Amino acid sequence: MLLVISFLVYLGLELAPGDAVSHMISPELASTITEEQLNAMREAYGLNQSFLTRYWLWLTSMVQGDMGYSMAGGVAISEIMAKTIPATLELSIVALIFSTIIGCSLGVISALKRGSGTDNSLTVAGMAGVSIPEFFFGLVAILLFAIELRWLPVGGRLLPHYENVWDRIPNIVLPSMVLALMMTAGAMRYARSSMLDVLSREFITTARSKGMPEWRINILHGFRVALTPVVVLIGFRLPLLIGGSTIIEQVYQWPGIGSMFIRSVRASDYPLVMTISLMYVFVVLTASLVIDILTALIDPRVRLGKE
Amino acid sequence: MKKLYVVIVAVLAHLMFISSVSAQPTNSNQLSDPRVRQALCMAIDMETIGETLFEGQIIPADSLLPNGPLKAPNLPDYSYNPEKARQLLAEANWDADRELDMVFYYGDQLTADLMAAVQAYFADVGVKMTYRLLQGDVGAQLNSVPADGVNGPAAVDYDLGYGARAAMVMQEYYNTFKTGLNPQTPGDPKMDAMIEKINSSADPEVLKPYFFEIQQYQMDQVNICPLYYQKLFIYESNKVDRNGGAYGNAQYNYNWDITNWNVSGGTMQTNTGPVEFFEQPWYNLGLWIHNKVVFDRLLVADGAMQPIGTSMAESFDLASDGMTLTFKLKEGLTFHDGEAVTVEDVAFSIRSAMKAPQMHALIGNTVGSIKGADAFKDGSTNDVAGIKYNIADRVITLELSKIDPNILTTFTQFAILPEHLLGDTDPLKWQQSDFWQKPVGSGAFHITEVKMNDYAKFEPFDNYHGGAAGFDIIAYPSYDGDGNLIKNAAAGKMDYGFTKNVADVAALDAMDNMMTKAVDIPYTRMMWIMQYPKP
Repeated sequence: MLLVISFLVYLGLELAPGDAVSHMISPELASTITEEQLNAMREAYGLNQSFLTRYWLWLTSMVQGDMGYSMAGGVAISEIMAKTIPATLELSIVALIFSTIIGCSLGVISALKRGSGTDNSLTVAGMAGVSIPEFFFGLVAILLFAIELRWLPVGGRLLPHYENVWDRIPNIVLPSMVLALMMTAGAMRYARSSMLDVLSREFITTARSKGMPEWRINILHGFRVALTPVVVLIGFRLPLLIGGSTIIEQVYQWPGIGSMFIRSVRASDYPLVMTISLMYVFVVLTASLVIDILTALIDPRVRLGKE
Repeated sequence: MKKLYVVIVAVLAHLMFISSVSAQPTNSNQLSDPRVRQALCMAIDMETIGETLFEGQIIPADSLLPNGPLKAPNLPDYSYNPEKARQLLAEANWDADRELDMVFYYGDQLTADLMAAVQAYFADVGVKMTYRLLQGDVGAQLNSVPADGVNGPAAVDYDLGYGARAAMVMQEYYNTFKTGLNPQTPGDPKMDAMIEKINSSADPEVLKPYFFEIQQYQMDQVNICPLYYQKLFIYESNKVDRNGGAYGNAQYNYNWDITNWNVSGGTMQTNTGPVEFFEQPWYNLGLWIHNKVVFDRLLVADGAMQPIGTSMAESFDLASDGMTLTFKLKEGLTFHDGEAVTVEDVAFSIRSAMKAPQMHALIGNTVGSIKGADAFKDGSTNDVAGIKYNIADRVITLELSKIDPNILTTFTQFAILPEHLLGDTDPLKWQQSDFWQKPVGSGAFHITEVKMNDYAKFEPFDNYHGGAAGFDIIAYPSYDGDGNLIKNAAAGKMDYGFTKNVADVAALDAMDNMMTKAVDIPYTRMMWIMQYPKP
């Protein structure tokens, strides 16, 4: 799977107009660069070789664990990944945790108060959350909290005077909360549906007939079972930890892997594009495995090896 | 009376010339007919476009050269005149069914609006035009030149192109019209001869009549349609006080006296910080903040790029024939790591610039003019015959094989780099050296902290020959046109920068904490007209 996808991505880059060298030269200075200079650069970067040769060279070095170097600046890709992935994970994990806790809680409340004003309000909020683009929320949040109220920074992740992780909290609040807001809406809708489904099951009726307290029925019996599809949803969101914050990274000038990916695609920096793409694929495949394992752990009915 | 006679003769001669070049097309492409090109220029109302789309922040252009001492008098008037445009098109039997293909490479909304406006103006005189944004290898799609630089056919497939020429020195506007170098305009021996003339001396007074001549000739031929002169806008927050320091063409390096600026709070925030590496300083000469403050040059220019004095050099001497240039370095210069700056570093920098491929044309022309440059570049020699130096005397002499009229300007922009840190780097992979992760120069500020893609911090260099500045600089990785300028400025996270985006200028002017200063720069936006036959 990884091999096929890597070839397709490489082919896509090959078919895209221009190459890394043509992106290094600004159009306004392009007429002052001679053909000989361009050819010399292409030769220096190995771009004068055939597509298949270049792909093979990239593939063999990748298999040997060598991700190569960024074409633009010659920086080791492993180094770029080591700097950008933590930034993205930091942002996404905070967003995932908040969105999961808040989304599940609101979803359960909504289900338990089905048809009430609370339920209707949360439903409308949920619909708005999944419908409004995140860059819009992002810009509104900047306007309000960074520019008007000046409570939080407008963007960026680090500043020279930051000494520890606590210093960085103001920077992460806006981007992570905006990202969480979008994810909360989905989790809430999913948790509500799942909870409603569970609450109509026979074992809930049985529990009630045994005189169990309502909170115990809802939390221990209802929510635990309702959690299974929610966990699946969260599992499916694991790839978002790496690739889901691209737009927010752009809006908040967050130096993560998403904004680096956009820059590398624009610059036709194919070693960097290839490595990030493959990492995305790897994360998706890994997430599928994690979902299967988590589902089996939560719901005994889907455990492997049992009838 | 004599003046009047001269004017009448000049006007008559001019009219005769116009009629002689406007006879008919020179090949199967109707755009090779000067009457059609004149009509296209006259169809566009740049005054109105300037007042509306550009909010009055541009100057309509009447030739490639910006207004100034080199502007030729009595240039032909191609200002908005739709009646005349229709008449010229009728005379040229313009094919009303032909649809012109206009290309451009700016992705902003203002350019899209301009294209729509031009399309409407052309439609008004009976010319159909569509437009498209070039993507990918823009350089090749725009600038590939025909194998036959006189008869064509064209090596590119557009009819019209919208773009710009940002020049540091005025020759840059015309050198690319030399036979075999221009993608749209067929080679012309007269033009070639005029280009030779404007490159024949380092004395501006000698060159002045030659610039008049080539300007007049090109506008008579109308092989481009100049649209407008773009201004550059420097913006500063109310934290910054230049203390009388000059404003100038911020895309390049000039004497802005930054060591005397006052910055309240002690830290100046700006953009153009590094994302993945610091760009080497010989290509985009003054675009990035590190180009301006980390590196130093031998000479210094004023805001209009005229050499006005020395920086690293204690003295210099350009021979009267312009073929030998000697510098003597100041005593006690050091790089930021404490190593002495010697003339060997100057020689090393020049030798490396001969081979490094990503190079500004100004520098490329100068280093290519040094005796022995070609042999060194092709590897047949290991040294450059025209570079001689004596480390103890701090003197380096450059002997030229051909005159370079802008050699002094080059050395106002050419950063001197440390051989002890870059000596092992292959010039072809110059930018890929680790050096560019935290470069070391000899300029007014040194880099103390780099968090790639977050910020870079620059602190005053105590051993700078021009004195130590009294503030730090923090550069964030945001750029003109990336959409972050306005929100950063509004949030108090931007104290200095420059832009050419008039929409940003309007937004910045509306902020209490920001001011903008317009600077006239040699930056001409134009419409290229394909005169070769179609491929």
